[in-house]
Parts: sequence; C-alpha cells; structure tokens
Amino acid sequence: MNTSYRPELVATARDLKEVKVLAEAGADAILVGHQKYGLRVTGDFGLEDIEQAVLFLHGLNKKIYVVTNAIFHNQDLIDLPHYFERLVELKVDGIVCGDPSVFPILDEMGKFIPVFWNPETLSTNFETLKFWQKQGIQRAILSNELALDAIFEIKQELELPIEIQIHGMTCIFQSKRKLVSNYYHHIEDVNNQEKYDRDKKLHLKEPKKEDTNYPVFEDFNGTHIMSNEDLCMIEHLEPLIDKRIDSLRINGILQSRSYNEAIVKLYREAIDLCMSDLYQYKSFQFLNRVRESLGAIKSEERKLGTGFYFKEQIY
Amino acid sequence: MGMTIGKKPELLAPAGNLEKLKFAIHYGADAVYIGGKQFGLRAKAGNFSFEDMEEGVAFANKYGAKVYVAANIIAHNENLEGAHEYFKKLYDIGIAAVIVADPALISACRESAPNLEVHISTQASIANWRTVQFWKNQGIPRVVLAREVSLEEIKEMKEKVDIEIEAFVHGAMCISYSGRCVLSNHMTARDANRGGCAQSCRWNYDLFEDGTDGSVSISDRADEAYTMSSKDLSMVEHLPDLIHAGVDSLKIEGRMKSIHYVATVVNVYRKIIDTYFEDPANYQLDPEWVDEIWKAAQRSLTTAFYYNEPTEKDQLFGKPDRITKYDFAGLVLEYDEATQIATIQQRNSFKVGDEIEFFGPNFYHFKQTIKEIWNEHGEKMDIAKHPMMITKVKVDQPVRYYDMMRKSK
Ligand code: SF4
Repeated sequence: MNTSYRPELVATARDLKEVKVLAEAGADAILVGHQKYGLRVTGDFGLEDIEQAVLFLHGLNKKIYVVTNAIFHNQDLIDLPHYFERLVELKVDGIVCGDPSVFPILDEMGKFIPVFWNPETLSTNFETLKFWQKQGIQRAILSNELALDAIFEIKQELELPIEIQIHGMTCIFQSKRKLVSNYYHHIEDVNNQEKYDRDKKLHLKEPKKEDTNYPVFEDFNGTHIMSNEDLCMIEHLEPLIDKRIDSLRINGILQSRSYNEAIVKLYREAIDLCMSDLYQYKSFQFLNRVRESLGAIKSEERKLGTGFYFKEQIY
Repeated sequence: MGMTIGKKPELLAPAGNLEKLKFAIHYGADAVYIGGKQFGLRAKAGNFSFEDMEEGVAFANKYGAKVYVAANIIAHNENLEGAHEYFKKLYDIGIAAVIVADPALISACRESAPNLEVHISTQASIANWRTVQFWKNQGIPRVVLAREVSLEEIKEMKEKVDIEIEAFVHGAMCISYSGRCVLSNHMTARDANRGGCAQSCRWNYDLFEDGTDGSVSISDRADEAYTMSSKDLSMVEHLPDLIHAGVDSLKIEGRMKSIHYVATVVNVYRKIIDTYFEDPANYQLDPEWVDEIWKAAQRSLTTAFYYNEPTEKDQLFGKPDRITKYDFAGLVLEYDEATQIATIQQRNSFKVGDEIEFFGPNFYHFKQTIKEIWNEHGEKMDIAKHPMMITKVKVDQPVRYYDMMRKSK
C-alpha cells in the first residue's frame, strides 16, 4: 500500500489574480488555458500570463496544467506546435488534451510534456483509457456521467492516475454552431453582432420545469450548455479518498471569485480532515458547518447535487 | 462501365432491419450499415440477430455489396463484456467492417478479429487532418468524419493523409458535436452515448437573460420558444463537390427510417453518382432528382457545414415548411405482361381513384390513377386496407418485383 497517498485538489482559474487566490486557498494545482485551445476555460490566459502563473505556482511547489482539449479543425492546427513548444519551455506540469491530433503533433516535436486525457464525455471505461495509455497519456480524466462504482473499477484496472470532478458545473452539450446568436438573429435582428459569451449570463429552462437552470454561452468553440446542478461531493469524500482517487477537480466556471475562493478553502479543509480525522469529518458539527457555509455562498438559482455518481442511467 | 474520372465513391445506406437492407441494396447501395443486438447506438432501430446478418450478407454478396456493422456506443465498463466474441462472430459471418467510436472496442476487435476492418465512427468527432493521421497511424483504413467539417477541410485531409474518408450526404443530424451531448442523460437519465438519446435538443426551451433585477424570458418576449433543431442534411444538389473533395464513401443517415425513405434516397443518389461518372464534363443536375428527394424528406434541407458555418437559416425556427409526405402503399411482387396486371402486397391502405406513383431502381418511375383492385381470389375491391394483403392492380406501364408504389399522405 502506498502510504504517501494524498489527493491532489485541482481548481480552475480565470486570471492571474485568481491563480494566486485559489493557490493560497489550498488548491494543489491550477488549471488555466485559452478558449482557442481548450474547452470551457474559466478565463483566457495568454502565454505571458501562463509564464507568470508557472513562476508563482512553482514557487509554492504547486502545479499548473494547461487546458488544450478543444476539438480542433485544420485551421486550428497551424499554431498548435508552437503553442505546445512554448508550454514545454515554460515548464507547465501537464497539458489537458482530448483530440487525438495532439499525439502526432507531439511526436514530431520530439519533446516531452505530460498529456492528461480529457475528451469530456468519452472517458467512460478502463479499456478505452488503456488504449490512450498506450499513446502515452499520463493521467486519465474521467467523464462526469459515470457512477462512483464505475470510477472505482477504472481506478482498480488502470495503472494511471485518475482525476474526477467533485464540484461545480459540468458541460452537458457542445455544438460548433452559434445556437444562441442564431436564435437572436431569428427572433430579433439578423445583423445583431452581440456576443453571447460567459459574461452575458444566459440560461435555459426545460419545458414545463420552472426550477431548471442550464447556463448557456458561446465562445470560440461554439455553444456550450452547462448542467442544471452544480456537482458537490464535499460530503462524500470518504469513498473517493478510500479508493485513492488521485486528483479531485473543482470547476469554477461561471461562478464568482468569492465563491470559488470559499469553495476551494472548504474542500481543502474537508479533504485534510477526511484524511487526518475521519471521525471529525463525518461528525454532525463538521457537516453542519459545511452546509451552512455552502448555504451562505451559493446563489439561489443553483442547486447542488451529486450528478451521476449515485445515479443509474438507462439506455 | 464507361470511362470514369477519379474513383467512384461508395454509396453507403442505412438498414434498420433485414428488409430495409434488401431494399437499400436492390435500389443501388454499394454498402449498408446495420446494427447488431449489442454495442450499437440505435437501440430502437430493429437491429439484426446473427441469423439476420448471415442472410443479409448472403443477399449483399449476390449484388457485390458490403455489410458494415455499427458498434458505436461509448461503452461503460459493464458494456465491454462479450465484445471479443461479438467481433469474432461478425467476422465469421462475413461482415466487411465495423464502425466503432470507443477505442475499447477497437482494441477488442483487433485482438479477437484482426482481419475485420475497423472504421472510426462520426461519434469520435474527427475534425482535422492530424486526427485523421493519428487513426491512419493506428492502422485504421477508414474514418467517418465529424459533421462539422467543410469540403475544404476534407480536401486538405485527403491531400495530407492516405486514408478512406466517409462523410454524410443526407439525413438528420445531431446539432451538437456527436458524442459531446449528454442532454438526455441529464434531462431523462437516458445515456445518449449508449443509444438512449431522447432527442432533447429538439425540445422547446425558454431562454433567459439574467439581469440585475432577475431573469427575463427572451422566449416570452419573442413569443417563440428557444429551439436547437437542425434542418436535415442534403447534398443532392452538390454531389460532385463531395466527389472532388475526395470522399470515398457517401453516407446516408437513417437506420430508423422507413423502407420508402431508404429506397427513395438511395435511388436518387445512385442515379446522381452514375450520371456524373458517365460524363463528368457534361454533368447537370436534373430537377427531377431534387423533386424525388423531397418525397422522402421529413424536414427542410440544408448543406450544413460543407460550405459555410450554419446560421439561423439552417435551423428549424418558426413554422415548419410544408412538406408533402408519402406513404409506401404497396410492393410489387409480380407483373403479368400479357394482362398488365401487377400483384401488389399492401403496405398502407390504398383505394380506387388514388393518385399513386410507381418507382423502381435506376430511377424508374411513373404516376397513374388506381382504376381497379382485386383481391387474391379475383374479387373486385374498392379499397385495400388490410396490412400485407395481396392485391392485383392494373398498371399503365410495366413494373417489376421490388418496385414500389407510393401515395401522398
Ligand atoms: S439530444 Fe440531439 S444533439 Fe443530443 S445526442 Fe440526441 S439528437 Fe444528438
């Protein structure tokens, strides 16, 4: 048994300021990126920002990963080798990929950079991940639509570190089309050049379900629809830690800075407590305090839930 | 075969069951893709038992056609069981290739049936030439592209990588990147990537803007729901462009579609491909082909991503366009030249006085009014209303076994 196990707490940051805040709040690793290369990044980092973030995080002995998991088109490939070269030079600790194009590109570059595999909905079984392991991936990031049992089975079968999301919105739909602009163009004005991006705060409601709230936005990669619930596993860390899940991710997309900071702090505390004093972690006092804190910071429209971790799906 | 320029692409048609397979091939498909009882996405598409597959392959062989099996789910751990035996069995049956999206199933196929060809499904969203190259390096002979690629992009892929490219020419489309939509999972607990898609993208939603004083419903203000449905893809007017881009296999969507749909669409594309290759320099679109396609259409049509990024005009907003829909009224079983009487198996009710149309392979078709109907015993009837009943009908022009009779709904 590997006694040095300690789960990594990964959080997304929108800018340098948030990198610092979240690192200080207790994140072990920070995810950054640019929408040109990565899917649903929380903010756009240029290479200079990434350089700054690397220096800062490495100074604290923390890690930085760059999200580059877009579904690339021919045109997008042109800058990609250069971008990867720079990321290698900047010594980022890993790139998060989801498009197989990266394998021939990195091969030709002949330089090593750890590739973490995150094709979002497609990381659903251990044989698939073994296939990508043969291509050289260093970490498997699992789909959000899996039950915990399935995650544990993957952990058992796979020799790679695995990462799952434990908090925040999940993406439930991506189209290359501009599905919000198209609607506005249809109902209002064809020439409207408005940007329906993350700042626009749009959401969808399901037919006849008043209390649903699916955030929707457009960016370089098309249209994204996010989950109705924010994943929240803070009360269920025990089995994750028991099964030695390597990395636990908080996705801070579309949340306020203060919310993200508070969430990272809360998870830091909960993880540490769960590791050091399980009895305390499971105590009513602690859980009540967690619930109170969550209640105080979460916005009214957003529900918290456990996603598919305890839910069965049919097909 | 006459002189041809370039390589004639394969016409690949969907077949939801054995009967559809036979029609698709008889009407001119070079290959069909089907689903088995396992590992396929179209849970409701009928699907083939191994016996059906055997019969389908035997039928296809007579025409020199191929049968592919779609095994395109994104599997979870528990779905992997039996994959090895399954692929081995498919190979033994004579299936020409499997269409796979999940690398787990590629590995299983490689191990258990190394000589069974693997094609990468559109569910894998292959959208650039480096990804095509990746699959080529894995020994994959053919990729089915993402529906989001343009003709220009396909051309570049073909120039840079020596691999077969399969692309959709006709049919319904996911409005999302295939495989990247779990709306159904979230809204109905049905896993879209294992065949459970509830078509949630085609529902009516309400769009809200969150302002400082709460949410405002844009849909209410506009008096029109927020929808995301795409028009259906059709390249009927532009087929030579796909041929020039270098597409090796032209794929028609629709394993859930009717026999009438499959036969009609295959018939048109077969006709276009053959006409083009007979004399590429003088090729001209015949408006009749387009008319014929509309007889099978279920929604308005679009060229999707092939020329430009789709806009609101490529979505189904507002009132749907009026499209005359047709029923498969009867199947010709026999024809007596002397009496000009056809034996017809009823597929949908028809009666004396109906305006109907007969059509068959090679774009054969003619219209007529039904003058007389007899039942099996030679008794006159006004209406043929029993499903599958055998009738006799006097026809204006010769017909053949497998010709079809359609009537507007
Ligand atoms: S809901 Fe629509 S976009 Fe999503 S998988 Fe189903 S058909 Fe495709």
